Amino acid sequence: MCLQNFPCQEVERHNKPEVEFKTCKELLLNPILICRNESEKCLIESSINSLRISIKVKQADELENILAKKFLRFLSMRAESFQVLRRKPVQGYDISFLITNFHCEEMFKHRLIDFVVAFMEGIDKEISELKLSVNTRGRLVATEFLRQFT
Amino acid sequence: MSMVALCPNNNEVHIYKASMDSNSVWERVYVLEKHEQLVSGIDWAPKSNKIVTCSHDRNSYVWSLEGDQWQATLVILRLNRAATSVEWSPQENKFVVGSGAKTVCVCYYEEDNNWWVSKLIRKKHHSTITSVAWHPNNVLLATTSTDSKCRIFSAFIKGVDARKDATTAFGDVKFGEELIQLDLACGWSFGVHWSPSGNSLAYVGHDSTIHFVTDVGPNPRARSISLRHLPLRDVLFLSETRLVAGGFDCNPMLFGSDKSRIWEFISFLDEVKRPAETKTDTVFAAAKGKFKWLGSEPFEENAPTTTHENCITMIRSLAPLSERNPEKSIERFSTSG
Repeated sequence: MCLQNFPCQEVERHNKPEVEFKTCKELLLNPILICRNESEKCLIESSINSLRISIKVKQADELENILAKKFLRFLSMRAESFQVLRRKPVQGYDISFLITNFHCEEMFKHRLIDFVVAFMEGIDKEISELKLSVNTRGRLVATEFLRQFT
Repeated sequence: MSMVALCPNNNEVHIYKASMDSNSVWERVYVLEKHEQLVSGIDWAPKSNKIVTCSHDRNSYVWSLEGDQWQATLVILRLNRAATSVEWSPQENKFVVGSGAKTVCVCYYEEDNNWWVSKLIRKKHHSTITSVAWHPNNVLLATTSTDSKCRIFSAFIKGVDARKDATTAFGDVKFGEELIQLDLACGWSFGVHWSPSGNSLAYVGHDSTIHFVTDVGPNPRARSISLRHLPLRDVLFLSETRLVAGGFDCNPMLFGSDKSRIWEFISFLDEVKRPAETKTDTVFAAAKGKFKWLGSEPFEENAPTTTHENCITMIRSLAPLSERNPEKSIERFSTSG
């Protein structure tokens, strides 16, 4: 994650994350796509002053689909407090991070990396927990409701 | 008494002073505030005691000490993008500014109008210029750019440079002519510097390489070293055979060339502070210490253990005026990040 301050070449006095605008080809690096299996992948795009990481989480069935979407939308809406989170995920992915050189100047690089990794590990766990609790609640409610008919 | 000028990542320039003892404290003496955006380059001319600064707001100022205050003189750069780096020429009558407008400005002082005027080199660069360096003969100029090339231009200005300086290894050259284009790096290039005699040149690439070019002339010889570490950002020649470079590893690296004139990596300059306090004498104890360290909390494993906690962006020499001759090597330098 070797990012540095880079003033915009296209517009004077501006300083933009080049990976978002992609105006100058020479400032972008090759994107890397890492796929664990068909349904889980991670895209890393980098440039001279910014880095974008997009993740698609595993969604086995419809329930997980809905849970993942709602949960990640909840987190993305609060992207301000996370600082490195992007409000809208990149097309085709579930969640995206945007790390700029300013973040690297304020925070330690290794802690940023730890944060992203912990986030990825946490997401899977959270979604399984949510699915479990939804199923349990549904089962309890159904048992109670049908009790009155027996 | 040494002084250092730095920019704390905003639009000001702070000047600190300290005495020559090793445990003196640096105290801030002046704050120069004129720029509106980040100050991207500072250079201090030791003989004429002038500081030139350039900034992302497309401006550059030359500061001179009058009495107790630093007075700024605006330089007409005619740039329409941010300025990225600046350096005084060896004789301090010119300075060069690299910019994001893909142009290089060479500025000289015009006595009649009492201001600094620039001449632009508009050709040849395909992208932002990251770093600039003067050859000791005050005429040749090397630039590195994010189009991964290093180019050498002539910056001979009629009226400022004497005619005899123009005869270099390349013969008589006009202003703005590109003499050599070096295409050794595969990534963006940064940090170029000439050796004290002007015979060699070094620059670094973002692909974690460092390139040494000797006998810079019509037939240069080049040597590139690929490093296993993170990319470097800036280089400084300490003497003809020693060079220090710093970058994203947060640790300055020393390179040297021996009699056969092959450059090699020598060592890191910063001592890495090991977390284990006990001194390990035997190899077995050292291995045990390493295992103990690895077993500790995983989040602290990659914690920075060097003096710099983040990337080193610039290395400059602290040599006082009297030591500026080619035989002596620079013994003190400052790194900033």
